[in-house]
Amino acid sequence: MVGPDASEALTDVIDADTGEGELERTIGLVGGLAIGVGTMIGAGIFVFPGLAAENAGPAAALSFAIGAVVALLVALPASELATAMPRSGGGYFFISRGLGTAPGAVVGIGLWLGLVFASAFYLVGLGSYAGQVFFEAGIALPIDPAVPLGVAFGVGLTGLSLFGTENTAALQNAIVISLLVILTLFLSYGSLDALGVFGAEHVPEGFFPPGGLLAVLQTAALVFTSYLGFAQVATVAGDITEPSRNLPLAMVGSVLLVGVFYVVTIFVATSAFGSARLGQFGETAMVEVARSFVGLPGAIAIAVAGLLATFSSANASILSASRAVYAVSRDGIVPEAASRLNLRYGTPHVALGLAGGPIVVLSATGQVELLAEVASFLHLVMYGLICVGLIQLRRESPSWYDPSFRCPAGFAVAGVGALASFALIAFMRPASIGVGVGVMLAAYGWYRYYATDVELKGDF
Amino acid sequence: MTVTPTEGGGSTGTDGSTRTDGSTEAGDPSPDGGQPRAERPSVLVPVEVLEGESLPSGTPELLANAHVVLCGYHEIPEQTATEQAREQFGETGMSKLDAFADALAAAGADVETRLVFTHDEETTIDRLIYEHDCLAVLVPNSTERVESVLVALRGTVGVGRNTRLVAGLFADADVDVTLYHALNEGESPEDGESFLSGVRSDLVERGVDADAIETVVEDAAAPVDAIADRAASHDAVVMGETDPSVTTFVFGMPSEQVADRFLGPVLVVQRARPEE
Repeated sequence: MVGPDASEALTDVIDADTGEGELERTIGLVGGLAIGVGTMIGAGIFVFPGLAAENAGPAAALSFAIGAVVALLVALPASELATAMPRSGGGYFFISRGLGTAPGAVVGIGLWLGLVFASAFYLVGLGSYAGQVFFEAGIALPIDPAVPLGVAFGVGLTGLSLFGTENTAALQNAIVISLLVILTLFLSYGSLDALGVFGAEHVPEGFFPPGGLLAVLQTAALVFTSYLGFAQVATVAGDITEPSRNLPLAMVGSVLLVGVFYVVTIFVATSAFGSARLGQFGETAMVEVARSFVGLPGAIAIAVAGLLATFSSANASILSASRAVYAVSRDGIVPEAASRLNLRYGTPHVALGLAGGPIVVLSATGQVELLAEVASFLHLVMYGLICVGLIQLRRESPSWYDPSFRCPAGFAVAGVGALASFALIAFMRPASIGVGVGVMLAAYGWYRYYATDVELKGDF
Repeated sequence: MTVTPTEGGGSTGTDGSTRTDGSTEAGDPSPDGGQPRAERPSVLVPVEVLEGESLPSGTPELLANAHVVLCGYHEIPEQTATEQAREQFGETGMSKLDAFADALAAAGADVETRLVFTHDEETTIDRLIYEHDCLAVLVPNSTERVESVLVALRGTVGVGRNTRLVAGLFADADVDVTLYHALNEGESPEDGESFLSGVRSDLVERGVDADAIETVVEDAAAPVDAIADRAASHDAVVMGETDPSVTTFVFGMPSEQVADRFLGPVLVVQRARPEE
């Protein structure tokens, strides 16, 4: 399935010196997995369980499983495209080259804003956990600290990424590994407890919520934000070593890994408490679950883990948003000034500002569910189009299209993936759909105004 | 990828035959037919080309007889795509690097240049050492002149690479060579002397003037300190790389420690890499 020679040759062509220097690839498989897992796990485990259980009861586990299947159906075609085009920009790059400038512009600008919404969502989660840490420390705060703390972290992280030149990758890897260790212990204990090993009594609860399957699907649409991270691996495709092997493994592997964790988390959480009770705990429900198992130490461990996880998600998303701005500006869809680098710090200050500014504003709204759904909406449009792009490229089979990883049953997987992506949008709340459509129309309007003379299809 | 050094005025005036004018491809260390010397040792010279770092004084003289792989690199933070940095800084970096290459070539070296945009300088330098099969890496510090060199040798393992480098660089360059060996545990001073005299005769065989070689054997408690102290009375140091360990993790590689204290150029001899 994987022919390293072909893609590595392609990689050499991209990185090779064109008279202006060559490029070093520095992110290996572990780093790629850490980006995917680190971006995703914050939301699914530490923000959504309470909200999801309130909406769908124990069947929220099914909602997460549906999300995992949709994500996998997209991750496979995306892997094929990424090995054919191992360049920075991810989904935007595939779609603009495969389907043309107009869809590319809508997706590129949509990806930037989608990541802005996602970052704002993670920041509110981060604020909730920071507030929880204050609470556990016995410091009483006069107001609900989630939103102000989220805004403060948004400003702080943007500043850090503007001036911070130290390597964040090692930190990211360490955070992800310690998270996985904490979660594995916690979930193992929780699963044994849920199965009655420790003799705890559980209130039996119907698997399906009163709303039935519809509620499960609506919840799947809500929690899909927990799966946005795998495509972030593709946005740094230009930095991944041995992309023909490491890109597919990192994308598919991170979806499978977090999917299993999510499903088990919901099982454990809904066994510990009734769904309604979990819903009352809100964003930090997992802290209460841990408290019910092992008391205060458990609560503190999970509160700190939640802080780390949402921090790493927010950080990764801000950086991805700035990469998305770079990708569209490199192609002339937005003014070139947007991707200028600061020589002193080596950071794209304009792009980071274009990401950080709106992120701070959005996190100030504190609308967790709306932010999550709009982020998912904009990503799902891109995912659907990635699948369409795969079908298109396979049918046209242009000479430059030579992926070293071929998605098994490509047409079927991509076809179902596209349908599932678009279908999931339909289960969102009208307000989210409205905002999402508004963003897409604005992006298309910008394209008509600024970039109609840019021709990207097949420009590789 | 390969830069042919422009004809510097200095080379035509002096002995033109020691200059190689043809361009050299990576992995082909024998550039022309009528070589005056057996082999030019390849030395990697890393420079942070956009950080305002210039070529330290003395470097061209030190490497006049080397095949220099001039590695300009620019380390960028992870929030920035390497492509993005190349697009913006590639031309500037390349022209600066070319100027450095010209200075090295004018002193007699043959030069290959590589410019790399990276998130991790160690990965890059390591890869280039491997790709160009470099004998040594220069820690580029400045020196006023190149008249005496301290060569610190640990033991017989891989010593041939040290002698190849020293002979290649300094064989007929009128440079004094001091061979230094700190005794290992359980090694007698006689063992040390005979080890160094073996190295010495190897160097003489390779064309180094026997009178220019001095040998020092010492029972030093802390070899790194001893080397750094002795280095003060020399213009450059040649030493080997060390396996990473807890000690090197905490205090840095011995070669780095020596370079930090000595403040002059240090040539770090690389171990032979296993064939892929």
